[in-house]
Amino acid sequence: MKGGWFRGYAIVYLLVLYAPIMLLPIFAFNDSAIVSFPLAGFTTKWFTQMADEPTLHDALRNSLFIAVSTAVISTLLGILAARASTRFVFPAKGAIMGLIMLPLVLPEIIAAVSLLVVFLGIGIPLGLITIILGHVLVCTPFAIAILSASFQSLDKSLEEAAYDLGETPLSTFWLIILPLVMPGIISSLLITFTISLDEFIMAFFLGGTNVTLPVYIFSQFRFPQSVPVIMALGTLLVLLSITLLAIAEYFRRRGIAKTGGKNTGGFL
Amino acid sequence: MTFSADRSTMIEFRDVHKYYGDYHALRGISGEIKSGEFFSLLGPSGCGKTTLLRTIAGFEGISSGAVLIDGKDTAGIPPNKRPTNMVFQSYAIFPHLTVAENVGFGLRRDPRSAAEKSRAVDEALEMVGLKGYGGRAANALSGGQRQRVALARALILKPKVLLLDEPLSALDKKMRELMQVELIKLQRQVGITFILVTHDQEEALVMSDRIAVMFEGEIAQLADPETLYRRPNSRKVADFIGTMNFIPCEVLSQGMDTIEVDAKGLGRVTLSTDQAPPPNGKESPVVGLRPETLTLLYPGQSTQDRTVDGVVDEVIYFGDMTYYDVYIGGTDVEVRLSMRNVPGRPILDVGTQVQLAWNPSALVLFR
Ligand SMILES: Nc1ncnc2c1ncn2[C@@H]1O[C@H](COP(=O)(O)OP(=O)(O)OP(=O)(O)O)[C@@H](O)[C@H]1O
Ligand SMILES: [Mg+2]
Repeated sequence: MKGGWFRGYAIVYLLVLYAPIMLLPIFAFNDSAIVSFPLAGFTTKWFTQMADEPTLHDALRNSLFIAVSTAVISTLLGILAARASTRFVFPAKGAIMGLIMLPLVLPEIIAAVSLLVVFLGIGIPLGLITIILGHVLVCTPFAIAILSASFQSLDKSLEEAAYDLGETPLSTFWLIILPLVMPGIISSLLITFTISLDEFIMAFFLGGTNVTLPVYIFSQFRFPQSVPVIMALGTLLVLLSITLLAIAEYFRRRGIAKTGGKNTGGFL
Repeated sequence: MTFSADRSTMIEFRDVHKYYGDYHALRGISGEIKSGEFFSLLGPSGCGKTTLLRTIAGFEGISSGAVLIDGKDTAGIPPNKRPTNMVFQSYAIFPHLTVAENVGFGLRRDPRSAAEKSRAVDEALEMVGLKGYGGRAANALSGGQRQRVALARALILKPKVLLLDEPLSALDKKMRELMQVELIKLQRQVGITFILVTHDQEEALVMSDRIAVMFEGEIAQLADPETLYRRPNSRKVADFIGTMNFIPCEVLSQGMDTIEVDAKGLGRVTLSTDQAPPPNGKESPVVGLRPETLTLLYPGQSTQDRTVDGVVDEVIYFGDMTYYDVYIGGTDVEVRLSMRNVPGRPILDVGTQVQLAWNPSALVLFR
């Protein structure tokens, strides 16, 4: 009964992974300032209370600005890198691509501290820009991974056909390549946006006095009375992340189906 | 072949060399392709056919030599500025566009009005037998239909040269044979120079006015199909095109117009010098003989030709044809011959004593 064991293992694994997250919505709607069982009753007041928190609004604005900027920049960088790595042969290509992908596994806190030292050293004031730089470092490898798959599944002769039919390399990029990798680009934008929105370490170290949503949540945990509001906020964030990732995956699959490639991997 | 040789030159290769790093992919290609010709580049996998085709299209630069299109050196001219269009092996149909958008893609920079362009697209679609398919998504087409879209898309620009890289290799046998005939008709109709890359010798023989047989980056022979088949200039070409029996022989004497050889099993034969391509001196001499130039004599049949006795060793039945492998002249030399299966002509058994008729004019001497 190997299969039985494996199924049991999978169920326990999923429980450990998701049960804590399931607690978020439960307490977000619980009519008690203390987070504990038994539940006290249903309320939506924690959600309405969010509207009266100016620091929360600042954090939200910061986070959205950072996430949008990060998504756009790292996706642009990802397009360039993916295009280069799938189309051109250059010396030490493997090593260079490896180094670009390294932040994916590098301890983030080390990267954050190093960046902090660099920024302080050359006198760049800490703020939203420095957080964006940190997030771009974290997100670009993801963008490259997603976009490489899109660019790779693109038949080279499609480009050559357009070139052969009178288009320039530039117009070929606009008319043929871009539309065909667009699902990958959208997928990359959504995933890097989500990663940036949830990112804590870089934002904490590089933000100076600027607070993002995760940093705000962390700081609020010192005050027991605001914990239910955090639960409500967390619920919304989880919902948003899941939605964005699902949309991203939809586009990734559609892109692969469109260019006729095989579905290998991906993040979901 | 009815192709007249006095047409103008469309493509000229002048000692073209191409290196990929250290790899010498094209090793001194020279030759001419005539205007309006259906020309094939034929050779085994990896011999450089695609590379040569792509030097015409401009996708591949050359290391030395020159490629001329219609008398003009193409050095430095990019693919989008060359009077050539290509049908890709994978067809390269743009998957996000409709059939009509695909076919009309090359007209984007054409100054004509939208109505005129759309008429041109309709005409091109009709020419390839896809009338009314314009609105379809390119993704929703069969292999044969994609092929036609790719053809229409390339021909709508009225190129001087149409380049086709193994265009039929992705189709099944029936469809391939159908498209072969359609391509020949289409080429006659539009009169454009077609250059076809193929590794299928039958396809090349069926379709081409002339064929360049390539091995390892070199053109081994450039000739019309009949010459290629009847008078291959080397054993390698003979082996690649169709089937040929090679019989060891000894060259007895070489005259001005004739060569006297002693072929094992066949005996002494006098050949004219045009049956003997220039010697390459590497291999021991053989005479080559196509299976259909040997005839099995049934009892009571007689012949003006020379004959040789033999013993049937193998019988291979093909429906319309039967192949016999026969030991000849009491030797260990085995030849293959093909006989049409007509009513009243029995299939022979292994071990049967037979008599074969053959004619010295069908022999080719390789030495
Ligand atoms: N971009 C390239 N880089 C390095 N070597 C190449 C490149 N393109 C082709 N070659 C090599 O050049 C040789 C000729 O290739 P080419 O594609 O012209 O062969 P082909 O005759 O078309 O064969 P096939 O029938 O398999 O398509 C091959 O050995 C191939 O490996
Ligand atoms: Mg090829």
